[in-house]
This record gives sequence, structure tokens and C-alpha cells, in this order.
Amino acid sequence: MHVDNLPAGGTAPPDTDTGPAGRPPVVTARGVTKTYGRTRALTGVDLEVRAGEVLGLVGHNGAGKSTLMRVLAGLEPCDAGTVLVHGAKASAGDFRTVRMAYQETSLCPDLTVAENMWVSSRHCLPRLRWRRAASDAVGRRLDEMFPGHGVSPRDRVEDLSLARRQMVEIARACLVDRLDLLILDEPTESLGPDAARSLYAYVRRLTEAGTAVLLISHRIREVLSVADRVAVLRDGAVTAERPASGLSEPDVLGLMGAHVAAAPTFGAPAAAGTAARETVAELLGATGPGLREVTLRVGRGEVVGLAGLAGQGQQEVLERLWRPVRRDTTVGVSRAYVPGDRQRSGVLPLWSVGDNLIVTALRGIARRGLRRPAEERAVVADWVKRLSIRGGAEAGITELSGGNQQKVIVARAFASPAGLVLLDDPFRGVDVHTKTDLYGLIRQEAAKGRSVVWYSSENAEMAHCDRVYVFRAGRVVAELTGEEISEERIIGVSFAEKGEDD
Amino acid sequence: MNIRVAGPRSWSGPRNGAPWVWGFAAAALVWLVILVISGQGGGQTVSLALSLAPYLVIVGLGQMLVVTAGPGNIDVSVSSIISLAGFVSVAAASATGSAAVGILAGIGVGVLVAAVSTVAILGLSVPPIIATLAAGLVASSITLSTANGFTAVPDAGLRAALNLRPAGVPVLALAIAVLTVLVAALLRRTVYGRSLVAVGQNRRAAERAGVPVARVTATTYLLSGALAGLTGALLAAYIAPSADLGTRYLLDSVAVVVIGGTLISGGRAVPVGVWGAALFFILLDGLVNLVGWSTAAQNLLKGGLVLFVLFLAGGGDRSGGLASLFRRRPRPAAATTTTTITGDDTDG
Amino acid sequence: MAQLLAPALPGRARMRRSAPAAVSAVALIVMIGVCSSLQPGVLTVEGLTLVLSATVPLVIAAQAQMTLMAVGDIDLGIGNFVGLVTVVSATLLVSSPLTGVLVLAGLVAAYAVLGFLIHLRQVPALIATLGASFVWLGLGLFLLPTPGGTTPEWLASFGAWQPAGFPAPLLPIVVVALLVYLLSARSALGVRMRGLGSNPVVLRRAGLRPVTSRVVAYAAAGVLGVLSGLVLASQTGGGDVSSASSYTLMTVAAVILGGGSFAGGTAVPWGAAVGGVTLGLVSVVLSLLDVRSDMQSAVQGVIVLAVLAGRVVVGKVLR
Repeated sequence: MHVDNLPAGGTAPPDTDTGPAGRPPVVTARGVTKTYGRTRALTGVDLEVRAGEVLGLVGHNGAGKSTLMRVLAGLEPCDAGTVLVHGAKASAGDFRTVRMAYQETSLCPDLTVAENMWVSSRHCLPRLRWRRAASDAVGRRLDEMFPGHGVSPRDRVEDLSLARRQMVEIARACLVDRLDLLILDEPTESLGPDAARSLYAYVRRLTEAGTAVLLISHRIREVLSVADRVAVLRDGAVTAERPASGLSEPDVLGLMGAHVAAAPTFGAPAAAGTAARETVAELLGATGPGLREVTLRVGRGEVVGLAGLAGQGQQEVLERLWRPVRRDTTVGVSRAYVPGDRQRSGVLPLWSVGDNLIVTALRGIARRGLRRPAEERAVVADWVKRLSIRGGAEAGITELSGGNQQKVIVARAFASPAGLVLLDDPFRGVDVHTKTDLYGLIRQEAAKGRSVVWYSSENAEMAHCDRVYVFRAGRVVAELTGEEISEERIIGVSFAEKGEDD
Repeated sequence: MNIRVAGPRSWSGPRNGAPWVWGFAAAALVWLVILVISGQGGGQTVSLALSLAPYLVIVGLGQMLVVTAGPGNIDVSVSSIISLAGFVSVAAASATGSAAVGILAGIGVGVLVAAVSTVAILGLSVPPIIATLAAGLVASSITLSTANGFTAVPDAGLRAALNLRPAGVPVLALAIAVLTVLVAALLRRTVYGRSLVAVGQNRRAAERAGVPVARVTATTYLLSGALAGLTGALLAAYIAPSADLGTRYLLDSVAVVVIGGTLISGGRAVPVGVWGAALFFILLDGLVNLVGWSTAAQNLLKGGLVLFVLFLAGGGDRSGGLASLFRRRPRPAAATTTTTITGDDTDG
Repeated sequence: MAQLLAPALPGRARMRRSAPAAVSAVALIVMIGVCSSLQPGVLTVEGLTLVLSATVPLVIAAQAQMTLMAVGDIDLGIGNFVGLVTVVSATLLVSSPLTGVLVLAGLVAAYAVLGFLIHLRQVPALIATLGASFVWLGLGLFLLPTPGGTTPEWLASFGAWQPAGFPAPLLPIVVVALLVYLLSARSALGVRMRGLGSNPVVLRRAGLRPVTSRVVAYAAAGVLGVLSGLVLASQTGGGDVSSASSYTLMTVAAVILGGGSFAGGTAVPWGAAVGGVTLGLVSVVLSLLDVRSDMQSAVQGVIVLAVLAGRVVVGKVLR
């Protein structure tokens, strides 16, 4: 079938007589589990996506949404359980009618829009003059989905704004000769409100034609307005599955495990204790890529949390503090950084635990550029003992478990004389025992007068902070102090749809 | 430090064993072949090889430091530096009458040329291969214009010293052995050395660990330039300054680094391995001459061996390979995918 | 309709991307201007033929380099490879044309195999091609230890071809750039090649095998390398394995001048042509300017650095 001849939606016959509940399931997950190393991402998921319905999938950071999507799209096998496509056990080819629009987009930045269409939809493009066909098809699809999109098929993806890239990504996912299930991963995260409305209108047209849509979003209100049913994912399992009608935002937040404050207080005053502390670092109205008018200060010996959903500007703040080159940022002490992505920016893979641990501190220990091995060994031994790092100082870092590797990376920062330690969500996927050790360490070091700025995607961790700034869309939307800091409050504030229209 | 990891798998994985052995083993093999074919003077062969290898070792050590700085780092200006340093050191030595001044001048020239590359790499964000190429081109022009009507002759004392072989052991080989030990100590015992190895393993992690990446990179290229300059000064005294004195050393220096067991992707330097590989190369030259093979066979052998070692060892993860280093623009799609617990790039 | 109203390319992005090629095109025009002011004859057909012919093999070799840089690799063996081809065409191609053609085809296949092994063993192309350059050199010396030999008549007559009306060297430059443009920028294979350099994860998700892209790129580079060698041999009239050794780095510089990048993902066939002609013309201009031949490589080096510095400045201004 030729992609140009497509109707707006898929080709499954619309059976409007029965409601979505009576329709056949397109993709069914039964008891699906998935484990990465020691992290159990999915712990037995049962989920059914039916033809012609919009299923909303909600859940907090790390609930297993992305993993579930990849399994449902056939990109990854599951460890246990089954995934059925049209009621039959699925083989790789069956997933061709399941398409996914990725949040981070799945486009080659150097290729044009039309060329990207060839990469992902070449099966339904002619062999000759494919460029023309792809341009026409994507242009028409974009016109249908996002009127006034302003994207030309000849544009290179890297030249497009984030919103337009997202439009192209969604159009790419829809460009196929038969579409049974469309998975949308945070589709409106970078879209403006108009484009989001157009998208959901299109989603409605798709489902009328019989296509199933799985919508993943943390914008609860949007999910409720678009979805027929809502499934709540919590700790790797579906904990609730309800019809969307009759559900309210607080209901869903409650199902996700949040307690919603009646009226979240924005910009709560800092407790008297923190105001008295000497300021070691400060951002004054910092604005830039990903940040808007952020003002925050860090006191000596204070643990400051940066909370909120992932990617709302917290890492940009850490970046500013790590390399304070702009005038709006002042940092008065030396710094150390604990990266969250161990493999990419933490571990030095060819070295032992001891070497990895001491690399930051050895600058301070050395005399005239020459290392002092005895002193280094003493520091290493001390930290290995203090954090009970398995394997000892001589073990290769890559032989360690993720949790122990993370201990080494954390110890690396605290073994240095730095006055301000920046934590970039370092405890993701670390086991509870290790976490408890490290939380204790952070409090101990803060008590010694070190300041800590701690970004975490796990809101429960924020309870260990003196003060928490909650971020949304590059702004500080709330400052919580002491008693106010609780997981429920943070979830409530970060999901509250204030300032949604920016 | 009494807590060692349990089990037989201690901290020396399959690729961390003793990679330098292979160069020496190959050298020994070639030496045996020479011995069998010529049927005489095994000791003499070794002595000759030891007097020729040091030049390659010095420049190889510099190249090794550069390669250790991580993927994409290579110094292609070494050959031009050697030729230029040869002329300058001979001129300086004959002008002042002091061989030491000559050697220092050679080293200084190397540092100067490397400084140009460094400024281009760090200041203009020019990829190292282009920056060192451009600096090398400038150097070779200066060499050519110096070569015209160059009359000074190398310092006789230095030449005699380079040819000194008490009990068959060249003095130069001993000196360069000491230099090799010094480089090894530099890598193990100094802050700079540790920083370099950290940068080479994972540039981003090193930066996050507080390593001054730019300063380390600059130091590395300057050191490589200095060592190439030293090679040029010694080589010019040993043979004679000429415009193509350093030509063969570009490819050879990279080759001895690879064969010597230094990780091509950076992060692990094996100074001793450079010796093994250099001896192997020199002995191979000798063997080819002995058998009467042409330089053609010599090059075929060298190239084949480099490729063989390379493909045998393999490179591992491409995502951290050459392309990623040259990438200066942030690539949102690629970057985010690698941060997920597993990218879905397992198939394919 | 919206797509008709939208500009073909966002203006700033287009300017930023074409800035490098524009900078080197300006350099090129300035150089031709300088030439013609010194030697009015340069702007005639004969003059341009003379000036441009020396750059043809370099430009074709630069296209080979560009093809590999599009997938994110670098070829440090192209210089010796071109030299080897001149040797083959001055020896085997004369003595037994069939063997010669087969050997040339074998060389292309060797390039494809090299690309395959580089992908399979995940080794840096930089080092692998450096190793291969020894092999090309060795083979060349094996066939022809000292420069010499004669090229086949048809090849020589191509080198001497002087059509009326336009400078002959323009034809191979434009035709090769057009072919490379069709392959790398217009065809589906080109999309796969650039996709590999741009974001291999996307290729795998879409079910495309990255190894195919790499092998195709290497094979194309091999073909272009052979072409370059044949043209060089037609001009010099003989074989010399080291006649093109400067090409290795010159081609990289030409691609960078033309707007290519080490990151891969972009194909700049026209830019590579402009960059190659610019670099090749430097020596012509310098000899017209009576600059000593000693200083030519220095000026080339300085020009490369200056153009790259210009790019940094232009990039900052346009950001």
C-alpha cells in the first residue's frame, strides 16, 4: 500500500457500535518483567491496549514507563511474561504496525526531514523518486496534524526548533501503511499549546479510524481530557486502571502516591536557621538555555535540593555552579561534582577503585606535582572502610556493582577538599542499602560545614535536604523548607499545572 | 588494602595483562631468524639494533602520550619537527660550539611548533590532526628554506658519543632507557600523568572529576613536540641534517605505539612496549636488508602487522570512539539514548 | 500550502552551514583574481586549463575522503593509495590491461574489506587506514621500486585533451562532484551513509544495518581513489607511489575547508571540490607571486588555519 493514498488513520474497520471496552485488544502485556542488572524496571505488568481507544499511562520518574513502552513496541524482549499482538504471541515482524514517537526524538540531526522519513518509513515509499514521495507524504501528514507547522521537508532536523522536531517525530511515527498502535512518549513536552491541541484532535481522528493510541505524559490534565482509560504505573507494575471519565487530577495524583496540598505555597520563606548561614554560592536571576530567572542561594553546611520532574532546569543549575563563568552566578568555594550517569561521566573504566577514588583529591595531596602514594593510600583506605566498598581499593572499578561504583564516585567528591559538592541525581538505580549509607554520609559532611547541592529525580530523597527548590520549565516554582519537604508536596507542586501555557 | 577481590579474576583483565610482551616477542623472533639466516654475530645484531632503535623510541614516547590523551588525538607534525630540529640543532651547535646548546635548540624548536598546534587545538577548536598538520607544514617550509645552502656540520663530539658502544651496549640506548623510565614515572607518579590517563579513559568523567582537561592536553602536545625535537637533534648529529630526515617517523611512531600495546582509544600508555615495537621494526629492517628484500616487502610487512594487531585486538565500543570525540555540537537524540539504562542498540 | 510558504531553509542555519564553503570560495576567487592580475593570460581557456589541471587528482581524492568523513571516519591512507594506482596504471595497465583492470578492481574491493573489518572489529579508522597506507606503499614499491613507467596511450591522451571553449579540467571536477553528490546527497544509500555518521542508533531502530553504510562508503572511496590515481598518472605520464603522499592530509584539509566535519553525517561534495581547488591553487598563485617553493607548504598550512579560524569567527557571529 502506498503511503500517499492513506486515509488519516489506520485501516482497521471502525466499529462504532461497541464502546472501546468491547473492541479487540491490539497489544496485550501479561505478567511482563524486565530487569537491568540489579534494577527491576518492570515487576509484572498486565496491560491491554484496545483498538480505537486512547490509553493514558501515568507514573512518576522511574516507575518503568519507558521500559514498558520499549517492550510494547517490540524493541526489547521481556525477561518473563508475554506480549501479544492481536491476541497472538508476537514475533519481531508483528511489531511493524506498532510505532513509537520518542520524547527525545528518533531522528538523524544531519538529515533532512524527508530523508528521515525514508529511514523509518522506507517500506512504504517507492524505490525511485522516494524523496518526492517522502516529502509529499510528510508534508501532507504535518498539514493534517499541525496546521501552520512551518516545517519544510527539505529542512535539516538540526535546524528545527525543539517543538518542530517533536512534530516531525510524531509525523514520522504516523507515516506507515498500517498503524495499529501509536505510542506517544511525552508528546507535548516541547510542543506549544496550539500544537498540542492539534495533536490531540488528530489522535481523536486516528482512534475513530480504529488505531489504538498509548499516551504517556506527566501532564495529568491533558491525559484525562484525551484518554478513554488511564493506567497508573508504580514501581514497575500497573497499580490502577480506570476509565478516564469521572477521574479528576487529584484522584490520579492520589493513585500515583501523591498527596496534594490544597494550595501549594509558592516561594515559602527560608527558615530562620538557613538565612543566618554564610552564603557560599548564589544564582541571581540566572537566565539562559533551559533556565529562566532562577534565583537561589546555598549556605555553608547546607544541603540544598533541586527537585521537580526530570529536565526542568536542575542540571543547568548544577552546570552553572560547576563552571561559574556567567556574571549571574557567584561561587565562593572550590567544587566537586558527582555525576549521575556513571558510565558516561563518572567511571574511569581502566582504573582500580583506589585510582578512581583519589583522582580528584590527589591534586591537593601532591607536592610540586609529585604524588604522595602513602598519603593517598591512607585516604583511599579510609573511604573504602567508611563506605564499606566491596572488593577493596585494588579491585577494578568495572568489576563492582553499580551501587558500589556509585559509592566510589561519591567518595571521590567528598575525599577532595571541595567546599561545595554538586550531586547530579547520583542515586538512580542504586540499592536501598547503599543509598542509606550515602544519605548518612551527606548529612555528616554537611555537619562538618560542607555545602551540598543535590538534584534528584526521586522526590523521597529530598527529605534529606535542608531546603528544596522545585523546578518546572526552567523556573523555580516553589521553595520548601524543613517540615514542608515531603514527597507528596513535591509531586503536587511539580505536577500542578500553573504556568502550563508557556 | 588487605581486602582483595575474591576469585581468580584480579585486576588485570584480558586486555590488561602484559601487552608490551608482544613487541619484544616479535623482535626476538625476527632476531632468531636473522641469526639462523646469517649464522653469525647474534650479539652484533642486537647491538646495532640497540643503537638505531632509540631514535624511534623517543619520538614514539611522545606519540604515545598524545595517543593516550584519548580518541582523535594524534600528532602528525612529528616528522616535520624532526627534520627542522635537525637543522636548527646542528646550526646552533656549530654556532656556539656546544652540543648541549644544539640539543636544547632542537627541543625548543619542537616545543615551538607544538605550541602552534596547541593554540589551534584549544583556541580555534581545530581537530588535532588538522592542527598538527598545519603546524607541520609551516615547519617543513622553514626546513626547506634552511636546507638551501646549509653548510654547518654536526658536532663531532656528539656524534662520537652517539656511536659510543662500550661492551657493545650503546650509551644512547642506556640514556633513552632512563628516559623511558622517566616517562613511565611521569605517568604513574605525577599529577599530570594521572590526569592524562584519566582524560584518555573518559574525557567527560575526567572533566567532572576536576581534571583541567585543556591544560593536560596542551602539556601533552608540547611534550610530544619536545621529544620529537630531541629526536631530530640526535638524529641529525648521528646521520646528517636533511629535509627528509623525519619522513619515515610519522607512520613509524604511530605504528610502534599501536604494536607496543598502548590503547589506541586512549587511557593506557605502555612506555616499555614502545621499546619492544621499535626493536622489532629496526630488526625487521635489518632482516629485509639481509635477505635482500626491497623496502616494498618491508612496508608490506609493517602495514600487514599493524593491521593484524589492530584487528586482532579490536576496539570495543564505537559509541565512545573517534566520532564522539570530534562531535562538538550536542546531539540531543544520541545523547539521551545513551543515558537510558540500555539504549535499544543491542540488535542490528 | 504551509510548506510552500515556508522558506526552503531557515536562513540563519543555511548561512551558518554554507559559511565554510563560502569562505574558501572567497579565498578561491581572490586567488584567481591575484593570478589574473599578475598573468592576464590566466583567465583564458588555456590559462585556466593550465592552472586547474594540477588540482584535478587532489579534488577527486578529496571526494574520496569526503565520502569516508560522511560516515565519521578518516582515511590516512588515501595518499599512498592514489600513488599505488598511478604505479598500477604505469605498469600492469600497460603490460597486460586485463590484469591491470582486475588489480584496480581488487584495490576497490580491498577498501570495502577494510571498511568491513573496521566496522566488525570496532577499531578507529584513523589507525587502520594508517596501517593500510604502509600496505599500499609496499605494493607500489613492489610493482615499481623507482618512479617511472609509462601510462597507456588512452590515459595519456585524456591528460592531453584540450577541448575548445572551456577548460578541460573543469569537466572531471564537475562530473565527479556531481556523481558523488548524486550518491551521497540524493540517493537512499547516501541517506544511510550520512545517517550512520549522524546517529547510528536511529538506523538500528529503523532496522537498517550500519555495516552496509560503512562498506558502501569505503567502496565508493576506493573507486574515487582509483579515479584520482588514473588522472594523476595521465598528467605525470608515469607511476610514482609517493607522488601523492601529500594528498592524505591535503584531502582532509580540503573537506574541512569545504564545510565538512569530523563528526560525520554531512556530505559536502561541492564544498570538497571548492576546498580542493583552493588548496591546489595555492601553489600556483605562490609560484606566480614568486614565492619560493620552500615556503609553499607553510602558506598552505597558514591558509588552512586561517580559514578554520575564519570559520570559528563566522560561526560565533552567526550564532
